[in-house]
Amino acid sequence: MKYALLIYSDPSVVDGLTNEEILARREEVMPKWLEWFEYLQQHAKSVEGRELDEGTTAKTLRYENGEPVVTDGPFAETKEQIGGYLLIECDNLDEAIDMAAHSPITARGSVEVRPVVE
Amino acid sequence: MHYMLLIHGDEREWATLSEDEQNAIREEYGRFAQRARESGKLVDAGELQPTDRATTVRLRNDEIVLTDGPYEETNSALGGYFVVDAGSIDEAVELAKQLPPSGTRAGVEVRPVYVQSEES
Repeated sequence: MKYALLIYSDPSVVDGLTNEEILARREEVMPKWLEWFEYLQQHAKSVEGRELDEGTTAKTLRYENGEPVVTDGPFAETKEQIGGYLLIECDNLDEAIDMAAHSPITARGSVEVRPVVE
Repeated sequence: MHYMLLIHGDEREWATLSEDEQNAIREEYGRFAQRARESGKLVDAGELQPTDRATTVRLRNDEIVLTDGPYEETNSALGGYFVVDAGSIDEAVELAKQLPPSGTRAGVEVRPVYVQSEES
């Protein structure tokens, strides 16, 4: 079975930080995520993933009365925004949840585990 | 550059469709994928099961907490995605306009895939 691990976090954690501070924060956090990625490579049958740019860089396409309307920003202004995802292959949902539970999420983020349509 | 097209839709409306109707829509998305693949623009694609099949993992007071359902209950939910290769975000948006008619789809968020900066 394939599962998507959707990684959400609160983008406001970097509010008020300078670019240098954001980069320093990233350098501190990234090794933990890479460590988790290595863990997944060891425990899942397959793993692939992508990190997304911030929600502020997004554009959203909607249709109003049949006409396409493009706006800047993410689809929904939710408190947490998707920041990346991993696709893993493992035997069952419990295994996928266990792998998600090993992620370095903080109190201002979450990992949604969702089976993929096959 | 790679861009992710995040397809958000109305799950309740989707659930009211018959399996044949759902499969007809899947076929249309499949044809979009086929065209994107033939033009060398398709990187990856996937459809997610509905959010009632989701489990969310959180950290609360330093403890891992599991809840049923998506990270946040919203009217529209992420239902699938495409990762495409495009020259700019506007080109990726143009590609998104070639998706099948909106139907139960509420919107498509087009987001750049992060690439490590080579400066410094």
